[in-house]
Amino acid sequence: MTATNEWVASHECEVLVIGSGAGGATTAAILAEAGHDVVIIEEGPWVDQGEVVPFSLEQMDRQYRSGGVTVALGVPSIAYTEGRCAGGGTEVNSGLYRRPPEQAIARWQSEYDIDDFDADGLLAICAEVEEQLTVQTVPGEHTRASEILRDGAAALGWEHDESPRWMSYPEGGRAVDGKRQSMTRTYLPRAFAAGARMLTEHRLDRLVLSGGKATSAQLSATTTGVDRPTTITFKSVFVCGGAIQTPAILQRAGFRHRVGRTLAVHPTVKLAARFDENVNTPDDVPVFQVKEFAPGISFGGSASHPGLVALSLTDNWRDFGAAVTAWPELAIYYAAITSQGRGWVQAIPGVRDPIVTYRLTKRDRALLGQGLARLALLMLEAGAAEVYPSFKQAPLVRSRADLAKMTAAFAATKASVMTVHLCSTAPMGENHKRTATDSFGKVHGATNVWVNDAALLPDAPGVNPQASVMAIAIRNARRFADERAG
Amino acid sequence: MRAPSTLSTPMARFADALLAVDLPALPVGPRRQTVSFIDERVQTMPSVPRFGVKAIGVGVDIVSRLAGVDRVISLVTKVPIPLLAEYPRLIRSLAFAYIWETWPATETDGAQ
Repeated sequence: MTATNEWVASHECEVLVIGSGAGGATTAAILAEAGHDVVIIEEGPWVDQGEVVPFSLEQMDRQYRSGGVTVALGVPSIAYTEGRCAGGGTEVNSGLYRRPPEQAIARWQSEYDIDDFDADGLLAICAEVEEQLTVQTVPGEHTRASEILRDGAAALGWEHDESPRWMSYPEGGRAVDGKRQSMTRTYLPRAFAAGARMLTEHRLDRLVLSGGKATSAQLSATTTGVDRPTTITFKSVFVCGGAIQTPAILQRAGFRHRVGRTLAVHPTVKLAARFDENVNTPDDVPVFQVKEFAPGISFGGSASHPGLVALSLTDNWRDFGAAVTAWPELAIYYAAITSQGRGWVQAIPGVRDPIVTYRLTKRDRALLGQGLARLALLMLEAGAAEVYPSFKQAPLVRSRADLAKMTAAFAATKASVMTVHLCSTAPMGENHKRTATDSFGKVHGATNVWVNDAALLPDAPGVNPQASVMAIAIRNARRFADERAG
Repeated sequence: MRAPSTLSTPMARFADALLAVDLPALPVGPRRQTVSFIDERVQTMPSVPRFGVKAIGVGVDIVSRLAGVDRVISLVTKVPIPLLAEYPRLIRSLAFAYIWETWPATETDGAQ
């Protein structure tokens, strides 16, 4: 068996892994290879790479939760996305890879009292991950939208670099020739080769506990026409549903200590920039990133399908809408910040989805404005003819003189704020006042329930968190296997 | 191809009217197809935001019947009333993304 969505009344296994993204797939592979009988359950479908156009509405339909229309309520609300498919977010994101910063590792260890947690150990696992995922920079030609970030930063003397990606390329291949090495191509096949089984298109309804011990999971099929439940009995369970679903699952099972109280994200604001040439590559994202103001603020490029270009102009359609017909000359860029705000994830009895909230601090709002202004400056330096910031009543920016007007008009409450990096809803460590799990993901108060995904990160690392998630998940899975091997 | 909307929900009626104002040259067929897309997307939203959007939709629909949909559109798109202002913003975001993804050669006024 590899992956199936066929209904069966019951399964038995030694270890149940809930979710198949960066945390779940690595956990399943490590445990299966250590000889454990593993079943993975995944709410979404299995979609092979190349089956849908990257960053398209069809991809959002098939591989994102709620078609990509998910929001953390607040002032402003923050749109976010979650993968909901075999491989989770690794199938749909940009594939950009950043090791966890050593400062973040040290901060997490000291502030959260995480045992046996140091940069050397974690970065050694990162090296393994990089080999497995063929993490590398683009060997050949970059997209024009990507070069714009590099050229603008260079003109300003700002620090910038190329973010590696988990891609494979033909020798000397161009950026657009890359093949994503996501979980469905790497760790999930490894798990299957070691005997793991996977049930797709089944949603976890609840974990059943008996005497404080989790004993089984009750599932329902997400495909239409199947309304019979499935029960999976297990000895141990790893919850790897991501930073939103994992705390909701734990709360419904009765685990509430520090669960879902400390959601951390990297909020971003965007703009579209128009050049005197075609710069839009709809199916790919820029790989250069600007780190001059990191970790507080960093800049990068977004997917720029014509639909997404139109979306970026909607906040001021009356003034900006005319630009949409020139979408091949436009590309979308973002300014991301390291937020001091926090959010909540709260499961509500009788309601299918948790409620998610996020509160930006005053400093966060100011930083978003600074980030957008500096990003607009970078675009002008890179040769942009016009810059269209994504907030209500934004002015058109054509020169440095317009930047002051833009800064004066900006308010975070008027902006389309979004994020794709969500973490920290079940932080790990021995500091019980701040953590939901122990140093290896075992939920406080549980005997056989572990968390092993982005929820464990004590805070947002200031870089793409997926490498951090994978390294920590592998570390924890190995500890679990080692302890049971005696 | 997505089936055209029958404008049977408050959201569909408001979205159709909003698009007629924003993109006056968008033909009725693509407009209804876009409204159908918006309706489907709202149905798949997480529970609490979906409930909120539908509640606002019902309220706007009732006021639109009493005061006229054009006046209501003018009000909710120009006055920054918290939450209420997010309603046309959500509809526009979904609609414009769908239209230019599906018909990239669409003109600014919706002409195809």
